[in-house]
Amino acid sequence: MTGRARSTTARVIPLAVGAVLFLASCASGDNAPQDSLQPESPQARTIYNLIMPVFAVAGIVFFLVLFGAIYVGWRFRAKDDEDFAEFPEQVHGNFKLEIGWTILPALVLGVVGIFTVITIFDLAKKPADDAITVEVIGQQWWWEYRYDIDNDGVADEIITANDMVVPTGRDIALKIQSRDVIHSWWAPRLHGKKDAVPGRIHPLTIHTDETGEYIGQCTEFCGLSHAEMRIKVVSVTPEEFDAWVEAQMAPVVNPQDEAAIQGWSTFASTCTSCHHVRGMTDPASVDGDASPSTATAEFDYPDLINQVAGAAPDLTHFMSRSTFAGAMFDLRKDTDECNALGHTWASTEEGIEKCLNRTDLEAWLRNAPEMKAMYAGESMTPESRGMPNFNLSEDQIDQLVAYLITLK
Amino acid sequence: MASTDGTLALGTGTEAPARPMGVFARPRNTPGWRGWVTTVDHKRIGIMYGAAALFFFLIGGVEALLIRAQLAAPEGKLLSADLYNQVFTMHGTTMIFLAVMPIGAAFMNYLIPLQIGARDVAFPRLNALSFWSFLFGGVILNSAWFLGGGADGGWFNYAPNNGVIFSPSHGIDFWNLGLIFTGISSLVGAVNLITTVLNMRAPGMTLMRMPVFTWMSFVTQFLLLFAIPVLTSAQFLLLFDRLFGARFFDVSMGADPLLWEHLFWIFGHPEVYIMILPAFGIVSEIIPVFARKPIFGYPFMVFSGIAIGFMGWGVWAHHMFASGIGPISVAAFSVATMFIAVPTGVKILNWLATMWGGKLKFTAPMLYSIGLVTMFTIGGLSGVTHAVSPADTQQTDTYYIVAHFHYVLFGGALFGFVGGWYFWWPKVFGFKLSDYHGRINFWILLVGFNLTFGPMHILGLQGMPRRTYTYRTGYGFNFWNLVATIGAFMIAASFLYFFWIIWRSYRQSKVDAVALSGDPWDSRSLEWMVPCPTPAHNFDVTPTVHALDDFWHRKYDEDENGRLVRIAATEDVSQDGSATDVHLPSPSYWPFVLAAGFPFVAWGLIFNMWLCVIGGIAIVSALWGWVVEPSVDPEGEHGPHDDHHPTADDSPAEAEAGASEEAALVD
Repeated sequence: MTGRARSTTARVIPLAVGAVLFLASCASGDNAPQDSLQPESPQARTIYNLIMPVFAVAGIVFFLVLFGAIYVGWRFRAKDDEDFAEFPEQVHGNFKLEIGWTILPALVLGVVGIFTVITIFDLAKKPADDAITVEVIGQQWWWEYRYDIDNDGVADEIITANDMVVPTGRDIALKIQSRDVIHSWWAPRLHGKKDAVPGRIHPLTIHTDETGEYIGQCTEFCGLSHAEMRIKVVSVTPEEFDAWVEAQMAPVVNPQDEAAIQGWSTFASTCTSCHHVRGMTDPASVDGDASPSTATAEFDYPDLINQVAGAAPDLTHFMSRSTFAGAMFDLRKDTDECNALGHTWASTEEGIEKCLNRTDLEAWLRNAPEMKAMYAGESMTPESRGMPNFNLSEDQIDQLVAYLITLK
Repeated sequence: MASTDGTLALGTGTEAPARPMGVFARPRNTPGWRGWVTTVDHKRIGIMYGAAALFFFLIGGVEALLIRAQLAAPEGKLLSADLYNQVFTMHGTTMIFLAVMPIGAAFMNYLIPLQIGARDVAFPRLNALSFWSFLFGGVILNSAWFLGGGADGGWFNYAPNNGVIFSPSHGIDFWNLGLIFTGISSLVGAVNLITTVLNMRAPGMTLMRMPVFTWMSFVTQFLLLFAIPVLTSAQFLLLFDRLFGARFFDVSMGADPLLWEHLFWIFGHPEVYIMILPAFGIVSEIIPVFARKPIFGYPFMVFSGIAIGFMGWGVWAHHMFASGIGPISVAAFSVATMFIAVPTGVKILNWLATMWGGKLKFTAPMLYSIGLVTMFTIGGLSGVTHAVSPADTQQTDTYYIVAHFHYVLFGGALFGFVGGWYFWWPKVFGFKLSDYHGRINFWILLVGFNLTFGPMHILGLQGMPRRTYTYRTGYGFNFWNLVATIGAFMIAASFLYFFWIIWRSYRQSKVDAVALSGDPWDSRSLEWMVPCPTPAHNFDVTPTVHALDDFWHRKYDEDENGRLVRIAATEDVSQDGSATDVHLPSPSYWPFVLAAGFPFVAWGLIFNMWLCVIGGIAIVSALWGWVVEPSVDPEGEHGPHDDHHPTADDSPAEAEAGASEEAALVD
């Protein structure tokens, strides 16, 4: 049995290499925007500070067991068959040892348990009084955010999707819900995940210290495009946030140029059975030759009978977002220059010219089911989930884009 | 050597005179496949369990490779989102219900009667029904691939995503019905094996003299007995929802989807211990043999297993820390989950203490056992990190969890099972697997396993969610996913190697033509005192048990200095399989016919009710036939047989077939 020495060594090497690689990868997380070990909020730091000592203790225990096993294996190996044939001392057990290694781990775990319980209740604390309430509503396969700006308990002032804009330095009281199946809302650098369960409202408090974008995605399997149900929290300064709120609450303006007006008509006839633009006027309400841009009559949306969830992304102020289609695609091009423009990237003609991801947006209008796995169906039915292919002409697509970019 | 009366009669029915169902004459001991279909021999049923489970393991393995191939690089295009969702659902379901559980069942069926000195299980025909319901349940589940696609809701199939509106294909119906029927298998098996352990032990085999494997299996059977009905109830609700428009999980009618989560995990967490405890038992048998020492702290090993069994019922909601249950529930389940690590840790330390001071021989079974001890430790420790529920909200539903449970179920259960195959292979098939190749295979598997699942810890902590068919570049996921895929193909290669080892070892045994002794490892428990392969009647005479590790103590005793001395040659305390006058239960068609009706019921419920009639006729007639059929065929051949001695000339397979053919005849 000459191979035994070699085989023990052979066991150590891959594990040691694995451990080194593991530590190395933990150290270099710059390119991991969803890394749960890079906390950037009080809540995430609380969790981080709890788990890191536990990881350390677990690591120590693991190496004790591993090297214990290797040591025992090395020290007590039978030298050869003759040696194996000799009997070692027949030990049947040791009561004191057994009691010892029952109680010792229990004590260690007891300590971990105390800190765990403290943290659980710490994280369950109610948000501060000045918290902003945001309803987070999951559906296949995008997130809607509704803001209760006037604190009247009804989150109807701002309805947006994909990007959740929040101010730094204030608690955000999330009320996580679902319109169809169970989803889970998770932005790892801000907090642990919380499921969105239909019929229930789950509270979660988040808080950002620094401006920036915090990435996440749905983490409860929710069907076909679960992998592309993404989350983006955009944290801005309180002043920027106030400006954002003001812009979001401003009424939409009738488009003026011809292509956009055409697109508006297409939107009104094709898209409004799912998508709403709050405050949109009816382009068909003008008399005779008057331009639809003068329309003042409010558009009368048809009842939404299609879509299981009963909702599609609200497109009011669409261009204040950086993503579309469940944050699967960038609306604002993902370049340093464009990202630097923040959520107001589309406020100028130049910004739109430079940063609008026209390619993906047009492709989406051309044939959405090809872009994202959905159960859209050939036509809209109560079972539909996702946007079907409307067989729009290229002209119609151009006009729709021209209209959409007016939704600033 | 003390012994009792050699005739241990099974069953009740020698007095029934009639021969009902004349057209369908009772099967006799037919050689060939018919013998296997009608067998009620716990050993043959165990072998069939193992073979079928390995077949399903291959299917699940191919599904795993598809998953890993898809995820080898970002934006994988091998599978569509839809197909990927089906593949990972079927991978999980297949591996859990059709591979790991039945591999455990194979060991339990084969070994429990032998380890407690019994002739067979308490209800041999029920045992056959267990196997056939498992097999046909697996057929139902996998027939989905040919009848419209597999289930796509994940193995946990959370409501309401499991409803018709969200999963309009029939995949989940196949999942539902397949698992309801494998549930029958588990339940029937649990009743059977619990009764066997309680009532069929040899004289002197007190509960605290039972081998640790039998103990762990015994605990497992109680977990099955209570856990499976919870799953089945939930599945019946879902079945009614999906097929008959009931509204148990319809949120718009006031349902709370958390009900399904609770029901599923009240089953699902004990299920983890159902899968791991038999493997714990297996390594508890192997390590003492190759350390030349008794198991350290036998009572602690037994009671820690029992403790795990009990505590396993109080931790289910740790699967739901992010589900929105309140902080008090979360705190309670966190702490409960942490403390289940205590009995598990006791086991790990006791295995190491068994090795401490021993004479360790690193045979293939021993290596796999040590593999379990170390790899399971990783899974156990990452389990503790989930018990820290605030941390779990960062970890749950990420690849960190995938890493965790593969360290438990692959690094734990499967390593134990492979070790068990090497260890008991000679007992079952009459030839040893090549130890040399087995050791090489171990290292390939160990490296492949760690390459596959080790990086998933990192991926999960970096925020890669589970059950996603694609990922993007720029998230730090690329490198480790590629490593994991390479590891997965290494695992696949190591199992191909394993199958080659089986083939080669079989060929080698034919060439060598050396008769294997009944006790090739110098082992400790009763199954090693009968020949290899085990004769159909197990024991020539029922042994009377005087101690834990009774067979060992027949061979060895301690002298005045506490040193072991041999007191008898192994041959002298072994049985040579030359029994006469042994009563054995007679084979029967009915368990097979009954279970064969199940797929028709399932397909009928899904496609056309008339198929249910066919299935129903099979089931009802099988039940009728079963009821009126005496457990021992009164017309069967009786009398002593003294010509059964597997010789060197017999191939193992022939010896096996011959053995059961003859021994089952004697009455």
